[in-house]
Amino acid sequence: MKKPKIGLIGDYLKKQKTVLAIVTLSGIIYNVGMTAGPWFEGRLAQCLSDIINGTKGLKDMVQLALFYVAVILVVQVMRYVKRLYVRKFANNINRDMKKDLYHSMVFKSREELEQEGVGSLMTKAIADVDACVEGIRKFTTEVFDTGVVMIAYFVMLLSYDWRLTILSMIFPPIAFCIANRLKKTVAQSAKAYKGSAGLLNESTYDRVGNALTYRIYGQETRRDCIYEKCLTDYEDKAVRANLWENVMPPIYLVISMAGCLFILWFGGKNVLGQGWTQWDIAAFVTFMSCFTKLSAKSSKAAKLFNSVQKASVSWKRIQPFLISKSPVQKEAQAKDIPMANAKKALIAEHVSFHYEGCDDLFSDVSFSASPGEIIGITGPIACGKTTLGKLFLGELAHKGTIHICGNVVYMGHDTELISGTIEENILLGDVGDAWKALSWVQMDEEVRQLPNGIHTRIGNGGITLSGGQQARIALARTLWHRKEVLILDDPFSALDMQTEQKIFETLRTLTKDCAVLLFSHRLSLFPQMSQVIWMENGRLLVSDHETLLKENPEYANLYRIQTQGSEKHEGGIDDEG
Amino acid sequence: MKGNVVVDAAKETISRHVKLTALLLVTIIGSITAGLIPPLVLEWIINALTEKSELSLMAIVLYFILLSLSGALDAGKESLITVFGQKVTHQIRSMMCRKLKSLPADYYTKQDTGTTVSRFVGDVDTVETLFTSGIISMAADACRIFSILAIIFVKSPGLGVLMVLVLPLLYLLTRAFQKRMLAAQLDNRQAVGRANNHIPDTIRSIRTLHNLNKEEYMENRYDTYIQEGFRAVNRSNFYDSIYSPIIIIVSTILVAVMMILSAKGGWLMAFFGMSVGTAVAIISYVGKIFGPLESIGMEIQNIQSAAAGIRRINAFLSEPEKETPAGTADSQKDNPPPIQLQNLHFGYEDDKEILNGLSLTVNAGEHITLIGRTGAGKSTVFKLLLGLYEPWEGTVEIYGKKAGNIQEMERRTLFGYVEQEFHAVPGSVQDQITLGDPAISREEVLKALDTVGLWSTIKEFSEGLYTPYQDSLFSQGQIQLLSIARAIVSDPKILLLDEITANLDSDTEKRILEALQEASRNRTMLSISHRLYEYSGGRYITITS
Repeated sequence: MKKPKIGLIGDYLKKQKTVLAIVTLSGIIYNVGMTAGPWFEGRLAQCLSDIINGTKGLKDMVQLALFYVAVILVVQVMRYVKRLYVRKFANNINRDMKKDLYHSMVFKSREELEQEGVGSLMTKAIADVDACVEGIRKFTTEVFDTGVVMIAYFVMLLSYDWRLTILSMIFPPIAFCIANRLKKTVAQSAKAYKGSAGLLNESTYDRVGNALTYRIYGQETRRDCIYEKCLTDYEDKAVRANLWENVMPPIYLVISMAGCLFILWFGGKNVLGQGWTQWDIAAFVTFMSCFTKLSAKSSKAAKLFNSVQKASVSWKRIQPFLISKSPVQKEAQAKDIPMANAKKALIAEHVSFHYEGCDDLFSDVSFSASPGEIIGITGPIACGKTTLGKLFLGELAHKGTIHICGNVVYMGHDTELISGTIEENILLGDVGDAWKALSWVQMDEEVRQLPNGIHTRIGNGGITLSGGQQARIALARTLWHRKEVLILDDPFSALDMQTEQKIFETLRTLTKDCAVLLFSHRLSLFPQMSQVIWMENGRLLVSDHETLLKENPEYANLYRIQTQGSEKHEGGIDDEG
Repeated sequence: MKGNVVVDAAKETISRHVKLTALLLVTIIGSITAGLIPPLVLEWIINALTEKSELSLMAIVLYFILLSLSGALDAGKESLITVFGQKVTHQIRSMMCRKLKSLPADYYTKQDTGTTVSRFVGDVDTVETLFTSGIISMAADACRIFSILAIIFVKSPGLGVLMVLVLPLLYLLTRAFQKRMLAAQLDNRQAVGRANNHIPDTIRSIRTLHNLNKEEYMENRYDTYIQEGFRAVNRSNFYDSIYSPIIIIVSTILVAVMMILSAKGGWLMAFFGMSVGTAVAIISYVGKIFGPLESIGMEIQNIQSAAAGIRRINAFLSEPEKETPAGTADSQKDNPPPIQLQNLHFGYEDDKEILNGLSLTVNAGEHITLIGRTGAGKSTVFKLLLGLYEPWEGTVEIYGKKAGNIQEMERRTLFGYVEQEFHAVPGSVQDQITLGDPAISREEVLKALDTVGLWSTIKEFSEGLYTPYQDSLFSQGQIQLLSIARAIVSDPKILLLDEITANLDSDTEKRILEALQEASRNRTMLSISHRLYEYSGGRYITITS
């Protein structure tokens, strides 16, 4: 195993160099270009003034106006480019992070995923990626739309009259400081609002979900009172949170705008030729308009810092999951063990197994299977069938040796279908004709009846299908991917006898080159098996149907009950073990 | 009355808060007006400057005051709309909560909790946005657009004409964009849903995926989902990022055309009404008219989604209510028996009668066990006794009183009901027993806990009775004991005992049976538990359909 490498946020950013370069370029052009608006407004007013005074003509105005439109057009196109690429930048990072997270997850073992709710932690980490990238995106956006643009406006103001700029710029920082001071209160009221919304939600669930209990105990009226209290609290907190959020920004804006008093007064003096510098109308209008825009921006400056904070909080939670980038070494399947006898597909020798702290579930198990053989394995409920099946997967540590020539394909109790189409579930990315596999499991006709046929989406874990359909799709998937050894744990339990028989026949022709271990409660097929293994009390009796029928009364009894029962009610017994 | 919940709620809010409503109207009008005037003052100042006349300090101060006033009124408008919207939604939720009491028991068994809760939460939230960024703000925005247009017409009829020509087109463009963006956002949400779902999906199928070496396939699949989402986001982003540029370019062109035509002089200049100050003021107005235009588009969208929410709220409020028992006269016998059923006919669905003609009298202190196969109607008898359902025919009387007529206040002293499953309520361990009823004293709680033998366990908790309840605090068996304590805490005369569905080991079961025996002492008891019968004796009644 490689030493785990800690993922760095810089690694993700570095990959996006080109995109980031485009963002920077277009962002700077756009935001610096934003100053063009006020400048042109000033020039236009001046031009009009000059025309009225007769110093300029229509041609100048046409030229200026066209130039104005052209520049704004370029600036706005840059804006579009910038936005598009900021989004692209965020999307790419999001995708890379999620890919890495998913990669580290999909190679984790089942035990690891089940332990300590790693699964749910991963799910949360994925949500954190969204939050983190959203933070990065907002930051990138704000760097340009607030940071760069404010600097651009500020420089422009300075170029017109630095004294007046400094004088008028006293106020935005004041607004900013107040905003910062109140940040805590705003956050607290927002938190209280969220909390109250949660309580109301919970209270609604309680009132509706336990309605009958309350009715029985005569508590409905009292519960309504409690609900009403929650409503009042919610109203109160919602109003308070909204007040802080909505009332303050216009007030900050007004504070920032106080600078306009100086601009109008001293700027006016500049125009009249009594001020610090000599201004024309254009300068006056531009300065005023520029200042207005700067004030509006500065009331939003706090956002920039908020987004950084949010992103870093999320990042800290994601980082631990991004450790290893190289594929985690998969657990050794039993296949690694060299074959002693090349003719056999599978040999088990003196295999024993026990769960920690328990007695042996079974011990000294020995048997072998050749390609083309189907071995039926059965026994009473809880005899350890499923566990024995899993041993061949290499999931569990055991005593003794298991030799396998080639690969094992396993189909468990759990159908483990993914939420995709029927075809996707069977092929799992292979190229081929899934209809063929459906016909193997007697399901092609049924699927043809569906409006979307093989492209029907089956929902989470195949929830839109019946149990029998789920089992058959899982079987079709297993048969499609068949390898040298096939372990089938109760594949037919949800099927009726006729279908079971038909599928079994197909199974036999398909698995000429495979050894099949078929674990089942249902014995109707067992007369057709090449070997039958009876599991009971930790012992395995390796034999065949005929012999067991004669020599093992338990097996004989079970077989008799089942075959008689099946005559009475077709459709099989529900025999979940 | 249909379709009028929101109107009703709004009316009620208005009539209750006349001052608030008046204030809201005043601030809306004020904020629109105050927003309009500053550019006019600016125009005045600039015109004065062009004429090189002396600066008027008053005009400057006035400009700032108007600006501040406009800001303050804006803030006031926003917050008052919020307050008003909150009052209306509070009203609607209260109305809905009142409805809960009168819904028949049937409603609760047929509707899943989540659906009903989403009426209360999600659907009312859409009504909230209807107020905060729906009708009220739409009216305000429309007023703003019209008043800006009016000013432009006065100042520059030419530009006014241009604006009137362009605005409808821009409005259509806005709507078209918003619709496309909404569609793209829906697509994105779907793709995000798939991508998120892919994680638990993978975890669930991990054995197969490892076994068949499909890790890479699943990685690609995940990537596809992420990409799908991004494509949808990009689509919405395209409209989003192209919209503002279009609007700004259009307004730029309008300004340019206006300036060129004014510059031509002559009648055109008069038609465009240009002085330098006017030009500056007008540019500022042109910039201001597009904001409300965009908002109106969003508001229409909000109103549309609220309409669906309102429809569902209405449907909920017009759910059929439970019937009041027919023939309310209670029997006037002296010393009536605790339970008397006479010729009961009942079924949940019209064509399926479950009880046909059941009669039964239970005397004080008697212990009765109802037996019969599943679905014969044992639990149904309980539901009728509890007055959750009204019989089709016949009577159910509790101490001579019709089951459906028993008042809330009396219920707990009459009945204790041990349900099939324990329903935990929010709050502490004590709340599980009292159901939050402050009328039940601590002594009563302790006594009930002592009877069922749970006190020794609860005593050990960090906060004793006041420990916040969690399922994990208790074992399956202890939860059953808690359920019994809840039933007997008010010392009811009748104890109803449903079949306990939880799987319990024999030791635990023994403890529960002992607790039940203790609890049923000196009480009339009806049970559906065979095991209890074997334990404590009594009388068997067979229920058959």
